[in-house]
Amino acid sequence: MDLWKLLLTLAVAGSSDALSGSDDTPAILGRASQSLQRVNPDLETNSSGKPKFTKCRSPELETFSCHWTDGVHHSLKSPGFVQLFYNRRSTQEWTQEWKECPDYVSAGENSCYFNSSYTSIWIPYCIKLTSNGGTVDQKCFSVEEIVQPDPPIGLNWTLLNISLTGIHADIQVRWEPPPNADVQKGWIVLEYELQYKEINETQWRMMDPVLSTSVPVYSLRLDKEYEVRVRSRQRNSEKYGEFSEVLYVTLPQMSPLACEEDFQFPWVLIIVFGIFGLTVILFLFIFSKQQRIKMLILPPVPVPKIKGIDPDLFKEGKLEEVNTILAIHDNYKPEFYNDDSWVEFIELDIDDLDEKTEGSDTDRLLSSDHQKSLNILGAKDDDSGRTSCYEPDILETDFNASDVGDGTSEVAQPQRLKGEADLLCLDMKNQNNPSSNDATPATQEPGIILAEENKSRPLLIGGIESTHQAAHTQLSNPSSLANIDFYAQVSDITPAGSVVLSPGQKNKAGISQCDIHPEVVSFCQANFITDNAYFCEADAKKCIAAAPHVEIESRVEPRLNQEDIYITTESLTTTAGRSGTAEEGPSSELPVPDYTSIHIVQSPQGLVLNATALPLSDKEFLSSCGYVSTDQLNKIMP
Amino acid sequence: MDSKGLSLKAGSLPLLLLLVSNLLLCKSVASLPVCPSGAANCQVSLRDLFDRAVILSHYIHNLSSEMFNEFDKRYAQGKGFFTKTINSCHTSSLPTPDDKEQAQQTKHEDLLNLVLTVLRSWNDPLYHLVAEMRGLQEAPDTILSRAIEIEEQNKQLLEGMEKIVGQVQPGVKENEVYSVWSGLPSLQMADEDTRLFAFYNLLHCLRRDSNKIDNYLKLLKCRLIYNNNC
Repeated sequence: MDLWKLLLTLAVAGSSDALSGSDDTPAILGRASQSLQRVNPDLETNSSGKPKFTKCRSPELETFSCHWTDGVHHSLKSPGFVQLFYNRRSTQEWTQEWKECPDYVSAGENSCYFNSSYTSIWIPYCIKLTSNGGTVDQKCFSVEEIVQPDPPIGLNWTLLNISLTGIHADIQVRWEPPPNADVQKGWIVLEYELQYKEINETQWRMMDPVLSTSVPVYSLRLDKEYEVRVRSRQRNSEKYGEFSEVLYVTLPQMSPLACEEDFQFPWVLIIVFGIFGLTVILFLFIFSKQQRIKMLILPPVPVPKIKGIDPDLFKEGKLEEVNTILAIHDNYKPEFYNDDSWVEFIELDIDDLDEKTEGSDTDRLLSSDHQKSLNILGAKDDDSGRTSCYEPDILETDFNASDVGDGTSEVAQPQRLKGEADLLCLDMKNQNNPSSNDATPATQEPGIILAEENKSRPLLIGGIESTHQAAHTQLSNPSSLANIDFYAQVSDITPAGSVVLSPGQKNKAGISQCDIHPEVVSFCQANFITDNAYFCEADAKKCIAAAPHVEIESRVEPRLNQEDIYITTESLTTTAGRSGTAEEGPSSELPVPDYTSIHIVQSPQGLVLNATALPLSDKEFLSSCGYVSTDQLNKIMP
Repeated sequence: MDSKGLSLKAGSLPLLLLLVSNLLLCKSVASLPVCPSGAANCQVSLRDLFDRAVILSHYIHNLSSEMFNEFDKRYAQGKGFFTKTINSCHTSSLPTPDDKEQAQQTKHEDLLNLVLTVLRSWNDPLYHLVAEMRGLQEAPDTILSRAIEIEEQNKQLLEGMEKIVGQVQPGVKENEVYSVWSGLPSLQMADEDTRLFAFYNLLHCLRRDSNKIDNYLKLLKCRLIYNNNC
């Protein structure tokens, strides 16, 4: 029965880890009884008072010590002389003799200390405790199984950082490995476990084991005190050593002022968002389709316009109607021309083929033209903010602006270029409607005046399909534009019947063009010498001639300065003659001289030139038909 | 000539910078052992080899400890196996140092060779352990998987150790000494208890030897790489 009891205790002993002993048994004992004498103090009641092993431990894998308890001395017997004997298997076999403990003192009372000379690792040991010669306890183990390091030393902490809220802080806890553990040579490798808690707490908080000798502890509250302790164990072992001394962590108290929790009214945010919201609303209004609101917020800048003229008429190209309306307005009449009387005395020569085509125009002009029923539609008189195509600045700078078509119906006053621009614009419209060659003003006087204008225009244009060319020729003669406005004064009538116009007003020679076509422009531009203030009609003709090819409006960009330019009678004629022919080349025409002698010096402002022709190559003197510079003159005259 | 010299200098400076940067890069890259298996002339630093070897040995010891504990719990309860562990391990005859002084007095070449010997000695037993464990009735997967893993890792550790020896002792070609294991018949005994005890003993020896190897390697690492200043 003892055997069974022993076996039972063995079974329990195997599962308990109170005693970390190996399973080695001394061979001698094994052979003797096939029973192990492993006493488990837990099971065995200590009432008998026998000494028992409590713990065997090696702190650094170099030495080890074993401790036992004295038996409870409730028995009358004295405890007896306790001895410890050990045995180790140095070779394959167990030695037969048991050796006594070499040191009963160093490890304290009831202990046996084995120093390094007596310690061998990876070798099974068996110890037995005897009392009065009788074995009371026995144990077997290997030293590497009973390693339990000493506690770390030298704990200290440093502040890592404090959170922005001033409530929490992080610290770094450092320590030194136990001094007897030879970590430096790598004989033993330790890992550490840190535990901390608030002072008045009961539960320790554990951190994961670390191999290093320092570890950060995060998120400690600043107004609390903490306790920290560390313990170590050999890596791969299960048993920890004792805890180190407790380290008290007192964190610096933050001043209460630092934590400002006042609520400040976020003025800046309100202002910013207010502005943003207002901007959004403003943009909504601006870009919304609500015209009325738009008017309120962004009142349109009124542009000059003529009452009763509907800009839509321009768009549709119904220039006759517009002209009619314009003619109706008596307001403008007195301003257009200085002298009314001459209007009635104009004779128009319509011999030329071209002029015949124009004749229709002149007919229209002369006869108080009501043929073409100009549906003077109810011109809306709204002051919508549509830009006119002949605002002065636009005229001067760049008439390319597409507002030409969108110009108001307002006819420019003679002082302004607007009329001409308008005229040009009208011409533009005319092109779209070839049928309606020219806008025919219906009124008498203005009609006649316009007739002049129209005559000059068609003359220039030559009644070519693209009437625009004439318009552009007119463009090319800024003087005509500048000076003529809508009406021009005829200064003289040539024997041929051509009309010589004189400049009306001295205006800026900003020439506006409607619908410029760059191709023609470039062609025309190349021929002009910029330094020459005068503009050769031949050049203009060239421009015109080029146009039919392209079937676009010729664009003659005037390179004129702010000087008056005259149209020679010859030029007028020749231009007329050229109408209808798509030919280029001035040679086929009446040769317009590249230079002309001065016929009349009319005024400081103008010259009338003779049409005497000295046929010379045009190219050199293209730009000098009206005026010969001294250089060119020298060239011509050797 | 001056301009030429200057231009040469200017030209060589970026080259020099490139060279230096390359060296630094090489150094940082060299910290990672990037030798593909089978590469002939691959040279990994000794430090990396030792780091890897220590990791492996530690891992193997962990596995063997766990395996032993599990086997003990599973099969050896109440069987009194520890009573019979008279048998020493087949590697007990090897002259391995048994305490710190002895280990410190052992030259590193000898220690390395001892490690190699022990590792080689375990090739065969591990193979048979895995083979026989499959036949063990109700073998828990954890024990079997660990055994398989230990076998694999042991081979790798052996490879690594041979590389280390090749670097530390270049040119020395030693006979492949190892202890022969003769415990196979015991593993194949018909008697269940005997068989289980054979397993138990083997696992116990494995745990002990893996602990030895782990300790030796850590000692060598601190001695050779960190100059006794781990």
